[in-house]
Parts: sequence; C-alpha cells; structure tokens
Amino acid sequence: MKLKTLMCSLFLVHLVTVAQDEEDYSIYDDLEYADESSTTFVSPKIIGLSPNRFINVAWDVQSPYTINASDTLGYAPDASWSIKETSNVSYTGGLRLNANIPVISRNNVVWQMGANYMNTNFSIDEADPTNEPILSELNSRSLNTGGLFTTVFKPLNDKQFLIFQGQADYNGNYTFTDFHSFVLTKYSAAILWGKSPHDRLQWAIGATRTYRVGELNYVPIIMYNWTSKREKWGTEILFPARVHGKYWMNKNSLIMFGYELEGGSYHLAGLSNNGNSFELRRGEVRPRIEWNRKLIGFFWLNAQVGARINYGFTYDELENGKEFFRGFFGQQEISAFSSLGTSLYGLVGISFVSL
Amino acid sequence: MKKFKTLAIILAGIFLFTSMIGETEEGDKLIGVWEPSNKKIYLKIDKISGKYYGKIVWLREPIDPVTGKPKTDKNNPDESLKDVPLKGFRMLKDFVYKGDGEWADGTIYDPQNGSTYNCVIKLRDDNTLDIRGYIGLKTFGRTDVWKRLVNKKKKK
Repeated sequence: MKLKTLMCSLFLVHLVTVAQDEEDYSIYDDLEYADESSTTFVSPKIIGLSPNRFINVAWDVQSPYTINASDTLGYAPDASWSIKETSNVSYTGGLRLNANIPVISRNNVVWQMGANYMNTNFSIDEADPTNEPILSELNSRSLNTGGLFTTVFKPLNDKQFLIFQGQADYNGNYTFTDFHSFVLTKYSAAILWGKSPHDRLQWAIGATRTYRVGELNYVPIIMYNWTSKREKWGTEILFPARVHGKYWMNKNSLIMFGYELEGGSYHLAGLSNNGNSFELRRGEVRPRIEWNRKLIGFFWLNAQVGARINYGFTYDELENGKEFFRGFFGQQEISAFSSLGTSLYGLVGISFVSL
Repeated sequence: MKKFKTLAIILAGIFLFTSMIGETEEGDKLIGVWEPSNKKIYLKIDKISGKYYGKIVWLREPIDPVTGKPKTDKNNPDESLKDVPLKGFRMLKDFVYKGDGEWADGTIYDPQNGSTYNCVIKLRDDNTLDIRGYIGLKTFGRTDVWKRLVNKKKKK
C-alpha cells in the first residue's frame, strides 16, 4: 500500500515537472501594458565593460631613474635649458585610494560622488638643499593629491546620453598638519554627449578642462567603448586621457593594454614665497598591461605593469596663487625645467566593484 | 466572564486571520508578468511556498546571434548551468512580503554578466514596480522601473 502511494506521488511530481518544463511560452507573445509603458533609457554600461570600481586601494611603485633640474630663472616656454641639479631617484611610489559612491542610481539618471587620495614619495639620493633646492624639496616632502569629484550620467532617450564630470583637487607637498591655502584648489570638468547604438557600443564626444598633463588645458575628448559579438575583445577609450584594448580571458579575468595620461599641478610649499605659489606641473604617459581578476564576490584584484614616460615636469610661479592658461601659444615664463628618465612601474590594488 | 474571554479569543482570532489574508492579498499584487524598462524580457512572478519567484517567459531576441541557437545562461559562473535556456530561467528568488508594498530578502540575477545581487522590490502603484538590485548596502545599487503586462484579449 505504502509503495503504491509512493509511486503515485512520484508520478504526480513527474507530471508537474513535465508541465513546468513544457510551459507554452507563446501565450506571452501578445501581452499589453496594464496601463502605460515605461520609458526606456540608455544604460550607462555596455556588455563587457571592465568592472566599475566603487572603492579601490592600490600601491604604485617605480624603478630607479635619473632626474635633472634647471636653475630657477624664468624661461620662455620653448627655451633650451641647462642642467643645474642632477641626481638618482632610487624610489618613487605611494598609496592610492579612490571611492566612487552612487548618490542617485535610477534608470533615468545616475549621479555619483567620489573622493580620491594619491601620494607620491621620492627618495632622491644625496639631494643638498643649498645647491639643489628643487630636488631637495621633492625629496623632503611627498606629493599629495586629495580630490572630490562628481559624475552625472543623464540618458536623453533610449540611445543618447550626456555625461558631466566635475573635480576639485587639492595638490601639493602638504602634510596633514600643514595645509596650504584652499585658493590653490584645481578645478577640472568634462562634458560629453554620446550615443549607444546597441548593447555593445557607446561613443561620445565632448570637451574638458584638465590638469592631466600638469598644466591647465582645454581639450576635446572622444569616448569609444566597444565589445565584440563574442564578448571577448573590445576597447575602452577616453582619448586623450586613456586608450585601452581589452580581452576577457573568462568572466573572472580581464586583460587590458594601452596607455593612460596621469598628472597634476602641485604647490611646493618650500619654494613658494611672497604669497606666490611655486607649482610643479607634472605629466606622464603610462603605456601598460593591466590584469583584472575576480578574487571573491565583488572584490577584484588589479595589477598593472608598464613604463612611466615623462611628458612634462616643469615649474611655474603663480602670482598670488592665481592660475593661468598657457595653452600652445601662451608666452608666460616657465620658472624652471626638469627632465626624468623613463622608468618601469607596477601597481597592485584591490577594488570593490560592480559589473 | 468566561463568555467574555471566549469572545475575546474568537475576535482576536478573526482579527489575526483577516489581517493575514490582507497581508497575503497585498503581497500577491506582485504576482503577474512584468517588463523591465529595457524592454528586453518579460518576467513572470509566482508565489511558491509563501515566497515570490520570477522567471523569464519572453525574450525580445530569443536567438543568440553568435550560435544561432536559443539563448542560454552563458555567463553563469557555474559551468554546469551555462547551457540552461534563458527562457524559463528563474531570475528573481526568495522574495518575502514585508508589508507597505515592499518585498525583500530576495535576489536578482543579471544574465548579462552572471552576477547575483541583493534586491528589494517596491510597488509604486498597482502596475509599476521599483526594483533595486544592490551589493551589500542599498547605496551600491541601481533602481529600475518595471511595468505590469496583461493579456487584454483574454479578458474580453
């Protein structure tokens, strides 16, 4: 009797399972909205985009190289200069922190606020403060960047979108007990208009005010994020700031290759006098290979190796700290020059991400 | 006194029963077919053993352009599930009605990247849902608007 009951039960379970498996999905082909349709907005992401880092902690280090500096005289922008100070930099590196937190994240608008901190320590061999004031200044106190930024992604419809980014950076060789004037805060911004024709492509054009190569600049920008049909290859480009190709080895491992421009304008406290700001305009190109690997859950490892190539390492004296725009044609004097040998660099970090 | 006690117990029982039915009716407003704002899929939400689950019942593009075959859950981190058809795939799991038009404690799966997120669902009106998928804290998430679909022809 018990066996019969068991057999009947098993048969019923089988029937239910078969019924579920063989559900007629065609009945859902002719559905209509109960009241009205929702509006479709273009997504800020495309398929296969690299993980979006909410929080990132990283350490950056460079191999030894030579650094030179001129005398502080005042030069025409295209002037030739002679070496007054020279030394070997045995260590360059520091901590990098970044947080990018969504404030509003809906399908019709995404607004994120973030903060970043970047520290660069230089160990310059035997830099003498009397004869080598610039190198000694770099050696004595590390360069810091503390910034706040905001990004707004505003879909206009199911294809077009606007992106606005604004950033305020507090850069210099300050310490946490010795801040300089907030008047020296550097403001950057970017605005882009773009389209996403399908799930694997988004492009945009726009303009930016940036300190990415050291000096203040206004440049056009182009974004081009694309993923192949098989979702293996692609590009992530925000030209000229960064250009990357990418290859997804599998869903947990991504290789990126390309370059990034990095830099800023830093107030050097020990060389600033009479209310003026003596600023290092530092810009570098970093061709590199980057490996992103899922560790656990939404925590990912990020490792980069590449070269650090000097783009600009000059010094300007800002009268009363007032910023100016030299651009390509400006004739404002450059206070001093430096040149840096190319070095290898490595970066390793851990991120809390969203895919 | 004894009669009063009995009456009180009966009344309490009735109150409890009706409020439970009320909760159930409110909670069951989630049941039905819904369309996310990207209009790529329909999800049918059902109640199973007191919890709410949602599966994909319609795809705008049912065929994978690379393989030419019906789409499967190819991004699933579990290798053994990569060949499971997306049509019929259970994307919403384990939602419990918390009252006040909110369902929580569940998860939402994103077949585009194979990730599972915490999720909370809010009923904006009888035919509109706010669905927020998030990682750990609700701050790290995104809200989408889903609309209810019905078979009007069948009603007639």
